[in-house]
Amino acid sequence: MNDKAILSVTGLRARVAEEDLDILRGVDLNIRPGETHAIMGPNGSGKSTLAKVVAGHPAYQVTAGSVAFQGEDLLEMEPDERSQAGIFMAFQYPIAIPGVSIANFLRTALQARLGDDEELDLFDFQELLMERMELLDMDPSFAQRPINDGFSGGEKKRNEILQMSVLKPALALMDETDSGLDIDALKIVAHGVNTLREENPDMSVLLITHYQRILNHVIPDVVHVMYRGRIVESGGPEVAMELEARGYEEYRIAHAV
Amino acid sequence: MNRLAAARRRAREAGAEEQGQIEGASPERATKNVARSSESTRVPEPDWLKSRRDAALELYRSMPLPSTRSEEWRYTDLARMLRLDDLVPSAGAQPGPASSNGDGTVPEPLRRAMAQDRDSAGRVIDIDGSAVSVELQDSLAAQGVVLSSLREAVRGGDPLLESLLATMAVPASDGKFAAMNAALWTDGVFLKIPRNVQLERPIRLSRWVSHPGTATFTRILIVAEDHSRVSFVDEILSPDFEAVTLVNTAVELFSHAGAQIQYVSLQRMGKGGFYLANQRTLAKRDSTLDTLNVALGGSVGRVDLNARLLGPGANSDMLGLYFGDHDQHFDFNTSQDHVAPNAHSDLLYKGALDDSARGVFRGVIRVHEGAQRTDAYQTNRNLLLSERAAATSLPNLEIEADDVRCSHGATVGQLDAESLFYLMSRGLDREQAERLVVLGFLGEVLDKLPMGGVVEKVTKAIEVKLGHVR
Repeated sequence: MNDKAILSVTGLRARVAEEDLDILRGVDLNIRPGETHAIMGPNGSGKSTLAKVVAGHPAYQVTAGSVAFQGEDLLEMEPDERSQAGIFMAFQYPIAIPGVSIANFLRTALQARLGDDEELDLFDFQELLMERMELLDMDPSFAQRPINDGFSGGEKKRNEILQMSVLKPALALMDETDSGLDIDALKIVAHGVNTLREENPDMSVLLITHYQRILNHVIPDVVHVMYRGRIVESGGPEVAMELEARGYEEYRIAHAV
Repeated sequence: MNRLAAARRRAREAGAEEQGQIEGASPERATKNVARSSESTRVPEPDWLKSRRDAALELYRSMPLPSTRSEEWRYTDLARMLRLDDLVPSAGAQPGPASSNGDGTVPEPLRRAMAQDRDSAGRVIDIDGSAVSVELQDSLAAQGVVLSSLREAVRGGDPLLESLLATMAVPASDGKFAAMNAALWTDGVFLKIPRNVQLERPIRLSRWVSHPGTATFTRILIVAEDHSRVSFVDEILSPDFEAVTLVNTAVELFSHAGAQIQYVSLQRMGKGGFYLANQRTLAKRDSTLDTLNVALGGSVGRVDLNARLLGPGANSDMLGLYFGDHDQHFDFNTSQDHVAPNAHSDLLYKGALDDSARGVFRGVIRVHEGAQRTDAYQTNRNLLLSERAAATSLPNLEIEADDVRCSHGATVGQLDAESLFYLMSRGLDREQAERLVVLGFLGEVLDKLPMGGVVEKVTKAIEVKLGHVR
């Protein structure tokens, strides 16, 4: 347990509810305010599971360990409570909600953060939304489209970053946000994330990725390698470079069951 | 074969098939019961009406209660849900206007619903099957618009009544409940819009039923002459009832060349309400006859809607929206009859069902011989919010012309955990998340609702239901 950490994961084991096998098999991770961590690892290593467990996805069951966020026991909280506490997850596969516009959705989400007796100022909201859409190179008409309904892959990912930039989390979990993006879209997304980091130097980011590519644009403080449900190596950005050159073969040998 | 003969044949076949099969209900006795008391309070009526009622009563008696063995009633088990025996006729037994309060005042819930209506060109208030108040803007009356209670209209002797009431649109031969209504109706609305008169604001019918265990029979007859335009909102409310309380409504809509009618039904009865409606729309050349059925209340709601496209260029948009919870049961039986060529009809019914609510949609597009260049569409979509809720969707096509564009589609989907998690991960609580998903799902229909407070009313009612769901 690290007192200074915004997110403190200790000995975390988790599985898909009602299945027999743990996917996370003892994860330890501390992220301090303002830090950007990247987690890399091969398919099935548990990277996305870690993000979903932190965000509170109901399909997963924690079997051991703890997760604290700003000193609070996160595992006791509902997904909406975690969001209100300052956690945001950019989904790997964003969900379409037909008939609900992005603007309506974000207005409802911001209003939910206020008390019952406090009314969201709609002009301020509109201004914020338009400014954020410009930052992400999105057409203003985008706000009236139903959430992710008929969006291209790139539009979905951009929409995730738009939501993140409006909700201004203390901890952003980015679950393979870079996958499926061409280099131009990747740069726009990275620019959005970096702008948010500049605005709020205390914002922490946990970036889950397969590829080193995005780390050229969003520079991490710490890079972790996850393998078979555990973090097996941590270091600076050089770890990502080495992985890119060598692949996961050595972990495969070292952690063979 | 003409329609009437076909209906008689159907009735005979059904009767032959089901003889001796009806348990519990004794329609015979109920008819006598209902008929006797309605006769005793009936004001003197013209001969044509008396004989029409008598013939309808004969037909009613000859038809058995539809059973689940007939295709059209397969999923709504009347023998279990409705005991005609136990019903007492409404209105007929209640002397004077505004019988519910006895002092001529409008019940509070109805008053509140009326206060939400933003603009009206006219309004009829109907309490327990009696029109107790009729108001119409003077300027419209001066232009020849007729808005009247059906009883008054009969007394006034407009020849349209003799030719159109329970003849072409909802005749007694249509079925047991159409016959029941044609025999026993106590009141209703007659609305006539003269040629070229276009109403900017809707005419409203505000209905209330106050007594448990009663049966109420109401008819609505609307005639829009050439190139006229009218929108009519028919809203019904009631308190919760301990006993099954029947409302049987016949709606007959005629749009002449180039005219436009929009009919909206807002069914917001309380628990125990059994709402039955037979709606027929007859659209002539280049006319538009749109309907919208909103079912939110009552324990059972059954709407039979038949849209007939009778002239080239006729158009019917048919919208439906339902949201059931607890053990509510909604059954929609629709047909789009393309008799004339070059006509267009588009049906969209969407419903959300929670708890152990049940939704049934059965629709058919019939393109008659010679109805070339028909454009007809039919879509029914259901969203289940609970494991116990169920929806049955049976779209159908019967096409006897070769140059047509028709399509139909039906879906039944679940409220999925991924959608809820996605919304909750942005800080919405479960209730807010469900609300967004349901309103989003129904939004496709809500977006097409007419102005004048209908959208707000329906949205509010849905939100109230979502609020107490869990």
